[in-house]
Amino acid sequence: MHSYFAHLSPQHRRSWLLVVAYVAVLLTISLADFGANTAGQTMFRGVLLGMLIFLVASGLSLIFGLLDVLNFAQGAFLLIGAYVGYDVYLRVDGSADVRFLAAIISGVVFVALIGAIMEMGLIRPLYARPVFQLVLTFGLGAIFLDLVERYYGADPKQPLAPPSLLNSNFSLFGQSLSYYRLFIIVLGIVMMIGVFLLLNRTRIGIIIRAGVQDPEMVQALGINVWRVFTLVFVLGAGLAALGGIALIPYQGATLGMGNQFLILAIVVIVIGGMGSFEGTAIASIIVGLTRAVAEQLSLAHFNAPVLAETSVLLLMIAVLLVQPNGLFGRGE
Amino acid sequence: MVERFVFARIQRIPDSTLRGLAERLARLVLENWFFALVFVLLWRFPYIVADLSGSQVKPSRPTGDSAFWQSEMARALTLACLAMSYNLLFGFSGIVSFGHALFFGAGGYVTFILMGHYDAGLQHKALVLVLLVALGLALFSRLRARALVVVTLSGVLLALLLLPAEGAISFWQAAAVALLLSLIVSLTSGVVTLRVRGIYFAMFTLALAEVFWVLAKSGTFRSYTGAEDGLAFRSLLPPALNVTPTADGSRLTMYHWTVVFFAIIFLAIRRYMSSPVGRVMLAIRDNEERAQTIGYHTLFYKVLTMVFAGAIATLSGLLFMIWATDKIVHPDTLSLAYTVDPLLNTLIGGVGTLTGPVIATLGLHLGETYLRNETFTLGTRVFGLLAVWQIIALAIAGALVGVFRHSLTRLGERLIGAGPRTPRYERLMLAYRGGVFVTLAAVLLLIGGQLRGEAEAVYNVADLWDLFLGALFVVVVMVLPHGIVGTWNRLWATRRLRRLERQMRQEREAAGASKP
Amino acid sequence: MVEETFILEGKGLRKEFGSLVAVADVDIRVRAGELHAIIGPNGAGKTTLFNLLSGNLRPTGGTVWFKGRDITAEPLHRRVHLGIGRSFQITNIFPSLTVLENVRLAAQALGGDSFKFWWHFRRFAQYTETALTAIAQVGLSDKLAVPAAVLPHGDQRKLELAILLASDAELLLLDEPTAGMATEQVPPLMETIRAIQRGTGKTIMLVEHNMNVVMTSSDRITVMHLGAVLAEGTPAEIARNETVQQAYLGELYGDFAGIIGGAST
Ligand SMILES: Nc1ncnc2c1ncn2[C@@H]1O[C@H](COP(=O)(O)OP(=O)(O)O)[C@@H](O)[C@H]1O
Ligand SMILES: [Mg+2]
Repeated sequence: MHSYFAHLSPQHRRSWLLVVAYVAVLLTISLADFGANTAGQTMFRGVLLGMLIFLVASGLSLIFGLLDVLNFAQGAFLLIGAYVGYDVYLRVDGSADVRFLAAIISGVVFVALIGAIMEMGLIRPLYARPVFQLVLTFGLGAIFLDLVERYYGADPKQPLAPPSLLNSNFSLFGQSLSYYRLFIIVLGIVMMIGVFLLLNRTRIGIIIRAGVQDPEMVQALGINVWRVFTLVFVLGAGLAALGGIALIPYQGATLGMGNQFLILAIVVIVIGGMGSFEGTAIASIIVGLTRAVAEQLSLAHFNAPVLAETSVLLLMIAVLLVQPNGLFGRGE
Repeated sequence: MVERFVFARIQRIPDSTLRGLAERLARLVLENWFFALVFVLLWRFPYIVADLSGSQVKPSRPTGDSAFWQSEMARALTLACLAMSYNLLFGFSGIVSFGHALFFGAGGYVTFILMGHYDAGLQHKALVLVLLVALGLALFSRLRARALVVVTLSGVLLALLLLPAEGAISFWQAAAVALLLSLIVSLTSGVVTLRVRGIYFAMFTLALAEVFWVLAKSGTFRSYTGAEDGLAFRSLLPPALNVTPTADGSRLTMYHWTVVFFAIIFLAIRRYMSSPVGRVMLAIRDNEERAQTIGYHTLFYKVLTMVFAGAIATLSGLLFMIWATDKIVHPDTLSLAYTVDPLLNTLIGGVGTLTGPVIATLGLHLGETYLRNETFTLGTRVFGLLAVWQIIALAIAGALVGVFRHSLTRLGERLIGAGPRTPRYERLMLAYRGGVFVTLAAVLLLIGGQLRGEAEAVYNVADLWDLFLGALFVVVVMVLPHGIVGTWNRLWATRRLRRLERQMRQEREAAGASKP
Repeated sequence: MVEETFILEGKGLRKEFGSLVAVADVDIRVRAGELHAIIGPNGAGKTTLFNLLSGNLRPTGGTVWFKGRDITAEPLHRRVHLGIGRSFQITNIFPSLTVLENVRLAAQALGGDSFKFWWHFRRFAQYTETALTAIAQVGLSDKLAVPAAVLPHGDQRKLELAILLASDAELLLLDEPTAGMATEQVPPLMETIRAIQRGTGKTIMLVEHNMNVVMTSSDRITVMHLGAVLAEGTPAEIARNETVQQAYLGELYGDFAGIIGGAST
């Protein structure tokens, strides 16, 4: 960490300052407007949302960084993960813990499989035609959404009980909260650290990072880049599915959740800078916080929850204007 | 053929002015006869249907099938305009927008919200707000966007002039304001995002459209938008535009106006693409940096095209809604569905072809309407030829071979040896590919035959239509990237090129022979 | 001493790619009407220097002056209108357009009709005329309707040159116009280039590896090495220059020049 800050480029150093200042502003506004307790709750909700967004966005960012493919089907991965997990949860016998575990495993594996097939069969032949790749992932997203609706129906699915281990409450900022929420935050942090370590401390991570810089060179070193591509794609898909299943006890499963999180993830990527892992992590939390504060603000003053949705987009537009490559993007 | 003959004859006309005139006339006829024919067919379409089905086309009150197909054709034509506008961006310019639905839906929403809630003071304030936003964007973005400020300013001023200072606003005024707003939005977002990498543009447009979709659906603005139920506008529509079959209005006239609208849009796009600007767009699609290096300010051309495409989408959206049977602007007109639809039609018809998107839209839309109520089982024969399950088996085999053609080629090269592209190699490869396909198809047919014995379930065409479209989409993207018309054109172009080459070779040989 | 006038000047031009310095504080001056050759081994930074002069890349430091005006901040497309045209070492054309259309677009760019979306492009026949002349100059007139992508490599190089000619620029930056061409095609193309220069009085900057061509046809030569200018002068001066001979000509081009010289006599 020490050396990390020493080696920052001026642009990134400025971005860090911006980020800190922005979060401070959000914090001040909430403290001044909502009072300490509500402000604390809002921040907690923001971080929680940020972690969920991170699960989708990190996959998107990883895949884009390495493969130069922006996977518009990432939202559909989350959706499929959630619905398949939900289905398995209801079908499996046993305690809530077992069922939840089964849901996680089956959902993630199923989506990872879809990701693998999609990368090998459909994405790979199209590397020479990037526009078609873009269009393909977009179209597949729509097709997946359609298939899920056909198979599971359009009605929203009610939230399910979280595992018994996490089904008790704790008190924070004067509000009783389920441990499950804390679990999601911890899960997000674990994934952040996990992916960070994978990228920085393992051989495969070094290959991935080198591949992001210069795929041809990696290929020239005699490493099978294709396999690494597939791996990253599968990893991204799996993370999104995990996010979808993690959402079930929290808000159930709805057809709209895929696109909702895809948009948020896109905002995150634009803000954080495409292909930058730290940028994605930081921007996820910023977007989560912004969203939560905007929600709280509009609830308190305008009675118009939709304004929260626009707030995030405005943030994205602002960043696009001042820093077209995102806060932590590679300058071109 | 005919062309060469006609022009050869014209060359023989001695008088030069006459020759020029004849040439222009010949070109006009040769380039347009097909479209003129289509126009006449579309014009006569209600009468043809009436004759075929025995229903009535009274000038004002069509009944039965004729009435039904009139509105279906009219809707299909507006959707074709939408697809053409999408193709203008995607096909002719290489700009990938995932938020085209925003413009499609905006026409209806803006027009009817303005009409329903017109309050002179408020509209002025709203427009001032738009102006401020545009100004802010122009000032704070790091661009020298003087042109943007000027155009936005004049757009807003024009909109202000269009709004009556008191009383109600007419449909036409409201529609004009909607069009202006769409111009401003496409202009602003185009200038801001088209300069960065295409991928940012795709993401930005997707997010923008999605947000407006959410806004339109949200209960917060229910009194304006009708939230999820949509905006009912039956009472707002001027009688002349009321096309409900029961109304003694001018339904057939309206149909004919729709055909005219379609023709105008088609001709406008054709002219745009063959204008100096259109040529530059083709250059940009091919190689943007090179276009800059020969002196084109490419951003200008891209924004211009986006504004043009947005305007067409807005107008066709409005017309589409006028033809809606329930007279409601649904929030879905802003949703992804209306971006996917033109994208799909463009891809299937042929990216970057003039007629492709039209053919695909009309074919798919009318096809769906025609087959919507049909049911079938796996054993049903299509056109009395193959049974459904056989077609599915063959399609799957074809798709598998197409999708995995790279792996298959690699495997094949391992089998027959990766030779240079000699005729022998090509023949072996062809035989190998054919063999794989036939084997696959045979296996699938066998399995399908087994399955068919068990499954006598009855399917609805309407239920499976989206799935069919999805499969078609994947197949087109993977194995037929130029779509129907594009592939056809390419075949012809290749043939012509071959002939040219042969000719040149013969001439060269003849010249070589005569030399010594 | 009377101050000489230069059509193009680069002052302290520098370009860094990350930690790599591709062009290191290069000063270069080109007089109007001369044929100025740039030579140097691969990776010396010649193409990058051209990119800085033409505006395809922004310099990390330094300024570019054209006809006494600082044009460092001018975007790529504006420089063409000022009179700087260029061709590329790696063929850079519009692959799906025909030969005629490739060249016609370059001619159209210079006129004021490019934004007229309401007229058919055929209405502006003058650009087609310009294009046809340029195509005839490079000798591609029999392939007007052929898509650029299917042309053989040598013809694509000619097309690249025709695009440049149609731009009617005063200063032509030619980056290895003969790169990858068959040996017997090189002399005619160089002859065309020289004829153009003599006929129109255009200024030409030329990157070329064929020492015969460089020594016989250029007025001045700049030698680049590792991003910096090693020497600058007339061909005779360069041939006499000890540093160049030792560090560069002898080492890298000795045999090569001999072979080419032998082949072309
Ligand atoms: N876009 C770029 N990014 C990174 N390095 C580059 C880029 N363009 C050129 N270089 C590097 O700059 C150096 C000079 O290259 P170049 O100007 O093409 O040389 P020349 O034309 O003299 O052969 C080379 O080492 C090359 O690898
Ligand atoms: Mg070079």
